[in-house]
Amino acid sequence: MSRSKDNRRVSAYQPAQPTTESAVSSAVARELAGLVTHEDRDRARDRWRVARARRRRSGWKSFGGVRLLWLLIGPGVLVFLGENDAPSMLSYSATGARFGVGFFIPFVVLTFAIGLIVQEMTVRLGAVTHRGHAELIFDRFGKFWGFFSMGDLVLGNFLTLVTEFIGVRAGLGFFGIRASIAVGAALVVVIAAIATGRYWTWERITLGLAIFNGLFIPAALLAHPAWSQVGHALLTWTPLPRGDNAEILLLILADIGATVTPWMIFFQQSAVVDKGMQPRDIAAGRLDTILGTLLASTFAIAAILATVPLFHHGINAADFQAAQFAQALEPWIGHAGASLFALGIFEAGIVAAIAISTSSAYAFGEVFGTAHSLNRPIREAWPFYLFLLGSACAAAALVLIPNAPLEFIILTVNVIAVLAMPPALAFLLLLVNDRDLMGEHANGFWGNVAGVSVTVLLVCAGLGFGLFTIFPKLLGG
Amino acid sequence: MNPEKTKRKAQVEDSGSAEAHIEHPDLQDPKVVLSLLEADQVVAAKTRSRFGTRNLSVGARVLLWSLRVYVLIMLVIVVLSVIRAVHMGQ
Repeated sequence: MSRSKDNRRVSAYQPAQPTTESAVSSAVARELAGLVTHEDRDRARDRWRVARARRRRSGWKSFGGVRLLWLLIGPGVLVFLGENDAPSMLSYSATGARFGVGFFIPFVVLTFAIGLIVQEMTVRLGAVTHRGHAELIFDRFGKFWGFFSMGDLVLGNFLTLVTEFIGVRAGLGFFGIRASIAVGAALVVVIAAIATGRYWTWERITLGLAIFNGLFIPAALLAHPAWSQVGHALLTWTPLPRGDNAEILLLILADIGATVTPWMIFFQQSAVVDKGMQPRDIAAGRLDTILGTLLASTFAIAAILATVPLFHHGINAADFQAAQFAQALEPWIGHAGASLFALGIFEAGIVAAIAISTSSAYAFGEVFGTAHSLNRPIREAWPFYLFLLGSACAAAALVLIPNAPLEFIILTVNVIAVLAMPPALAFLLLLVNDRDLMGEHANGFWGNVAGVSVTVLLVCAGLGFGLFTIFPKLLGG
Repeated sequence: MNPEKTKRKAQVEDSGSAEAHIEHPDLQDPKVVLSLLEADQVVAAKTRSRFGTRNLSVGARVLLWSLRVYVLIMLVIVVLSVIRAVHMGQ
């Protein structure tokens, strides 16, 4: 199971760079044949299905093409719908309630475009190297930088996990369900998803749950948005937000942090590897990521539109939590609309809890050399599953502690995500430009322009936040 | 193109399409499993192989250190803002 054990068993195989050579025609095929694991068999089954669909395909429009896309979508859709998590949906809701339809609608679309640029790089890295992000950072930059990077990830992931369980608790709280039952039910769903010992099944269960992020669409429709204003805002970025500049800056940061975070990089690359994607699947991986971006940005805008009635009626939602948003919306979008909103927050929390705890477990396994695949049975990869469940249980327990500072955790999570992102992006750009690793799949000129621009933008956003905090009167705060 | 690379690419394409013709592959047969995976996708091979540490240029090292200092300073600022929020709440 462990890396060191495998090291002793295979002696002659140490490629210096990734290869697309088939395992059966490699120099050590005979040696590898005696070491095939359960994980290899499951992954081979997935590859066989992809190969069969690809053979039957005569174009993306044919049934074979649809079947191939169905087999290869997953990590991209999951990462974006997972990032439409409880604090993110609350940020979007606060944006709609505070500023209505205007600048923030196209701004949110822009942040998703930024997310797409970043996540596409992880598809290429995972498909070409067959290594997770944490593993690559340790391999290429050494333990020193690896542990720094892991520190950012673990801290950010744990705090975010706490906020997901706050969302679960608050979402079901709207229906009068006790916090302990709500959080316990969420943990049961996490356990059910991983208990199958199969990446494919885990991915389909989580995708099935994630699509309920779309509950914000009927909630938005019940708010009867003025579509002409939405169209006008998308085209002109107006009206610009007015009022407290400090509050505007914080919402800008929160909305960026709601879309671009380090766990997404680590998760999608590891999921691409666990799914067994290969360089020839990169085009499908891009489509998967684009589909995830489109779905998530649509649902995010729906969350903004659902809370616009609070803006029109001058209701101050600055300190609202999930259940309070749903309660405040009830007079304007009805009990059904408010219920959909509360269920949407619950769903957002539960899907993100599954994805983020899995992201932490992947990184743990990659760094410490233990088995790290959802294709492994629990008995073969118990440290991986223990870390996954342990982080989820610890976050859930924190939410149940009376008088825990939950509001402050929510307040800081998205901001920490924005602050931790530039170093994560720097590692990503260095890796994806590493031609020894990536060969023909390395970043091109425009990919680097986009990546560097995103990094500079995030650094500037963070510096703006720092200036505001140190000199609050600078922005009239 | 490198003839060795061309040959390997052809082998990969062949093995992929050949296995796709099998309606019910016997995944207990290691050869079938290996024919469906790339060489460094196999767990035993992957855990053995290492890409090795790359030499970071001075510019890359300066960039990483700058961003590390940036994160540490920003974390202090986040703590400050939380403390301020706590006091305002009280």
